[in-house]
Order: sequence, then C-alpha cells, then structure tokens
Amino acid sequence: MGKARRPVQIMILVLIVLLGGYAVGTTAFGGDGKPKEGGRAPSFELLGLDGKTHSLDEYQGRPVVLNFWGSWCAPCVKEMPALEAQWEKWKAHGVIVVGINVGEDQMTVQNFVNGVGVSFPVLMDQDREAVRSYGISPLPTTFFITAKGTIDTIHIGQLDLGTLDAQIGKLVNR
Amino acid sequence: MSGNPPLIVNTKCECGHQNPVGTVLCEACGNPLLDGADSARPLEMRYDGKARRSQKTNPGVIDRVWNFFSSVKIAIYLIVLTLLGSTLGTVFPQESTFLHIDPSTYYKQRYGTAGDIYYRLGLSHTYESWWFITLLVMIGASLVICSLDRVLPLYKALSRQQIRKHRRFLTRQRVALATKVAEGPEDWVSKAVQPLKKQGYRVMTDGGALLAEKHRFSRWGPYIIHIGLIIFLLAVLARGLPGLHMDQHLAFPQGEIVHIPDTSYYLVNERFTVEFYKDEEMPEEFRGKKVLPKLYETKAVLYECTADCGDPSREPKLAKVASHAIQVNDPLSYKGMKAYQFDYDLTPVLRSVTPKLVNSATGESYGSFKLEMKNPQRSFTAGPYTLELKEKYMEFGLSEEGKPISKSPYPNEPAFFFLIKGPKLPAGGEPYFYFPKQNDKAEFQQDAINDKLGGQGRFLELEVGDMSGVDVSESTSYLNVRVDRAMPFVWVGAGIVMLGLVLGFYWQHRRIWLTVGEGELTLGAHTNKNWYGLRREVSSFLKKMDINADEKSLENGGDPA
Repeated sequence: MGKARRPVQIMILVLIVLLGGYAVGTTAFGGDGKPKEGGRAPSFELLGLDGKTHSLDEYQGRPVVLNFWGSWCAPCVKEMPALEAQWEKWKAHGVIVVGINVGEDQMTVQNFVNGVGVSFPVLMDQDREAVRSYGISPLPTTFFITAKGTIDTIHIGQLDLGTLDAQIGKLVNR
Repeated sequence: MSGNPPLIVNTKCECGHQNPVGTVLCEACGNPLLDGADSARPLEMRYDGKARRSQKTNPGVIDRVWNFFSSVKIAIYLIVLTLLGSTLGTVFPQESTFLHIDPSTYYKQRYGTAGDIYYRLGLSHTYESWWFITLLVMIGASLVICSLDRVLPLYKALSRQQIRKHRRFLTRQRVALATKVAEGPEDWVSKAVQPLKKQGYRVMTDGGALLAEKHRFSRWGPYIIHIGLIIFLLAVLARGLPGLHMDQHLAFPQGEIVHIPDTSYYLVNERFTVEFYKDEEMPEEFRGKKVLPKLYETKAVLYECTADCGDPSREPKLAKVASHAIQVNDPLSYKGMKAYQFDYDLTPVLRSVTPKLVNSATGESYGSFKLEMKNPQRSFTAGPYTLELKEKYMEFGLSEEGKPISKSPYPNEPAFFFLIKGPKLPAGGEPYFYFPKQNDKAEFQQDAINDKLGGQGRFLELEVGDMSGVDVSESTSYLNVRVDRAMPFVWVGAGIVMLGLVLGFYWQHRRIWLTVGEGELTLGAHTNKNWYGLRREVSSFLKKMDINADEKSLENGGDPA
C-alpha cells in the first residue's frame, strides 16, 4: 500500500493526542475559571484613588500583596492597620501592597483611606470586574503574588500582623 | 492447532494477482481466497473483500494503537461506556445548573449521604470530568481511524473494478443465476446493455462479460456521517477556546447602564415589566390559589463602546447598536451575543433624591439640588448657603466603638453628613445629618442628632417635598448573557450528518455481474441493502432478455431481506 502511510498514521495519532490532551486539560483541569494557588494572577485595569489607571502588569518583578476590602466589612477595617504596618516595613524590599475596594464610590473610599491613614495604593473596583476575575466571595480576601506573577497563597478572612509578616517574608525570599 | 492461522499466508490468487494480507476476495478477479473451492456459502462482501488498512502481519506499537481504535467492537464499547457515564450524571442535578451554591456542602444537605458520595465521586460535574472527556476524545479518535481504515480500501476497490469476475465469485453472490443461453457471448451481452441502462445502471462490457452498477455514492453515506460527527465534536471542543463561549448572569437595575464583562458592550434595562394572570383568566382550580406569571419583559438597549474603552479613568464613548423587548425565549441578539430574560427583583433601589433647603422658622425655601447615592457631588449651593458633603453612609449604623459606619455598600438606609455655611451660621459651618428616607429619619432621630450638633438656634432643614424629588430604580432584571460562536459549526456538523444519513438510507449501491461463455450465462448481483428490490430488478431485466427467473429462484441463501 501507499508509502505515505506511516507518517500520515503518526500525524493523525499525534493530532488526536494534542487535541485530546487540550480538551481534557482545559475542561477537566481548568476548573471553574477561578484563580488557584500556583496559578497566574489575572490581570486587571482599575482606577486608583490617585485618578490614574493601574494594572497588575505595572508591578511586575515585585512581590504583590493584593487585598480586597470594603469599608462596610468589619474584619477588613480591622486588618487595615496591620497591612499599613507591613507596607511600611517591606516596601524597601520591593514589596507592594495594593488595596482593591469592592463596589464603593470614590468619596467613600477616599474618606475611609484618610480616616484610617492608609498610604499604600488603593484601587476602586466599582463594577466588580476584578472581583469576578479573582473569584472573590467573602471579604476580606488577600492574594500573595510572587514577583513572577504567580499566586503563592490565597488568604480568606482577617489577617493578623504575624501571619502577614510571615507570608510577605516567604514571598520576598522566593 | 487448527484455530491458529498459518505463519505465512500465500496471498497470491490463481489469476496471478498478489493480494495484501487480510484480503478476502481477490482484488482482481473476485475469487474467494480464504475458504476452499467447495464452499457454497454467500460471500462476505464487506469493503468488497479488500483488506482493511490496519491488517498487517507484524504490527508495531503504532499499528497496535491504530488497530485498537480501528476496531468497531472497541467503538461500540466506548459508546456504551459513554452512555453509562452520561446516565450517572443525571442522578442528581449537576453543579453547573446552580448559580450560587457551595457544592461541597450543598449535595450533602440536599440529598443526604447519597448526595455526599455523589459529590465525592466527582459525579456532580460528570460532563467536565477527565474520564468523560477522555471517553469523548477516544470516540473521536475511533471515528477518524475507523473511517480512514475502511474508506480508502473501499474507494480503491470500487474505482478499480474488473468487469470479468471469477465464476465462483458470481455463483456465491446472494443473488445468483446460472442458465443456458443460445446466443453467442458478445451478442447476448450487447443486447443486455440497453435494458440495464433503462433501469438506471451504468454498464461496462468486456467481451462476454458485463458489469452494471448504480448509486455507488450511497456507499459514502456512513463516512459522510462520520465527518459530520467529527466536525460536531471539534466544535463542542472549540467552545473551550477564549472568546468562543461566554455564559454569565448579570443584574441590570432599571435605568442604569451596566458594562457586560469581557466585552465592549453596555446594556441598559430601560423598563422591566412583570405581569400575572388575573383570576378570571385562570382555570377555576387555580383561582385564588396560584400566582401565575404572564409576562416578563425587559426593554433593553445595547451600546457598544467606540472609544476610551477599558480605561477606568475615562468615560467610555458609547454608540447605540441594538434594542429589543426581551421576553422569555425571545432574547436580544446582536452579532452572536444573546441576552435572555433570567430573573427579576422588584425591590426598589434609591438612586437619587432632590431635597430643598428650607428655613423651618419662616418656611422660606432656598432652592434644591440633586443628591446622588453613588458618586455624589461634594458641594452644593442653595440660595446664599453652601453645603459641603463630608461623609456618606449607604446603610447607616454604629460600630462597636459607637462611630457611624456603613453596614453595606447598598443604599438601604442612606445617611449624609453636611457642613452648611452661609448667613447667620457659625464661621466654621453648621453640621447637619440628613436621612433621605422618612423611616430612617424617625428611626435614627435625625432631629435630635442635629439639635445636638447644631444647637438651639438651628433653623435650616433639608426636605423632599413629594415623590417627584425621589429617583428610584423600581426593579432589577437579571439577564443571562451568552455568546456561543461554535454553534454554527455544530449546525454544519449536524447538517453533514443528516446528508450522510439520507445518502445511506434512501439509495442502495447495486451491482450486477454477468459472464456468458460456452452456452451458459452466469449472473451474480450484490447490493448493500434491500435485496428484495435488487432481486426484482434482476428478474425484470432477465424477463426482457427472455429468461424466466422468478424472484425467489434468484435467492442463493443468506439473509433474504
């Protein structure tokens, strides 16, 4: 029979393995689209309190602590001083703390930031687009993202100073 | 030892043709190769006796994989396994049918231990599980390989048919006849051409041999079905690619423009209506007992962002592209994106109030201003007075330390804190708490708070005269926004399957071979189905040739259907 038979056979089998692997990989192991520890942190473009648009890409090469919060959420309010303290401690090491406010308007966020004395960058997610792409349900939720842009740890609930310090230390030493 | 095939098979036919291993009928003359000359059973005519491509003497690893998938038996096992697997997925509702549940607790709560086991086995997402997708991929592989393995040999066999066939090939067809004829071979054959052509056959002759054939294309039906199925499977697979598939449920408060995530579209719910059947419209047994919805309708307008999109520091420029009154099963549709009515909520949401600043002592009004719940202006003027908005609380409450806080970001019990400056007021301004909702004003004792803050000489109040000063979003409509760009390919695949089915079902590939020699006519005929029809055709052809052979007598054993 035809001489081209073997290469064609191999090509078809390779194609089936590739397509099949892709199908199994994306559907069965792709999960529900929510980011997971070890996965890539989704990018976002949000308006900062400084009036400029910020994205995750601009912090590339630096470890990022991404904190989702709301002024109405009591544990978020309680952990703010710890975040602020750790921001002061670690910013010299290149670590950046970013607060993403969930669904509130500029006035509320500004008043809150002034009242509590937050100096790290705060972004506003009024349309809850980052909330959606990060799959946030309870607040506060904090993502510890490595300098390479992968999610190291996801912490749901209030953070205390000790845990925060240990987590950031781990990020910096990676 | 009789069950084992011999190590080396002589595949050379007596006509001199060298056949590949696995050949059943000689590729050249049709002589049956595998059974003895004395056998009279009807011939196995699958793939015209050609060897399938995968049949080899020394299969390697690749051949073994290839042979596995080329087996119809394996394909049937795969299909049965997939059917059983799909059945398991229907025992309890799948996770994907719920919007907001935590599956790790839901199944246990709702269905008890059985539900918990179901969840733990991963059956709550059967159709996304690795083993189910693997089965589908294997069926796909089997489709491709089975088809290739059979269609190419069959194509070759049918396009290189020999007109003169071995006598045994003819007599062992299911429809066969051997009878004496008086005329010479070539005369008889040339006379036979015309009646066969009339019956719709393509006729080829070779001296005293003849081959008449019709509707060969129907043999490609099954393979066309397979091509359609492969396109179907690939299209379903492609839905996983970014941009080809989207399915989200979004809330659209009436009158508010909402961005549809991951697109450049914005949608406004201009008006949502829900109507119920009146008592007199319902059958007697429902009256007074049931509330049945008659209509859910969202008057929606779709906008597309034309400039400054995706940059939150700028206001996007929008252009209206479509509008539609969305009802159940009647979505708004624009360029492959569809917005379906999904749910609604009739709780009104306060959007803005327009209070007047009045002198409570004299009744004099200093004018009004619009106070938005979201992103309000920070300072207002009313007559000679300026009002600076200092704080706002969407759901007013007190923290553990007794400080005013907002309990949620939703304007359920809004409160505003102003500093009013102007004539007859302290130089630093007069603090003033304002609760737009009448209920809250009483509940939180607005007057008492302000008396305490402003002192005895306080004379300014903010008031909303009537409902015209209140802007409320009456309801929220929930829409299911979907994009499924793979759908056209699914339809194309399904259409090709249908075409293949029609080709294979409504036509049959019929062939009649005959040879005339030494005063004898030997005839054999074959079809892939409807033997009855073929026998009738052969019998009526023979009648025209003055040979009386009734339909039954042509039958040569085997399945008579």
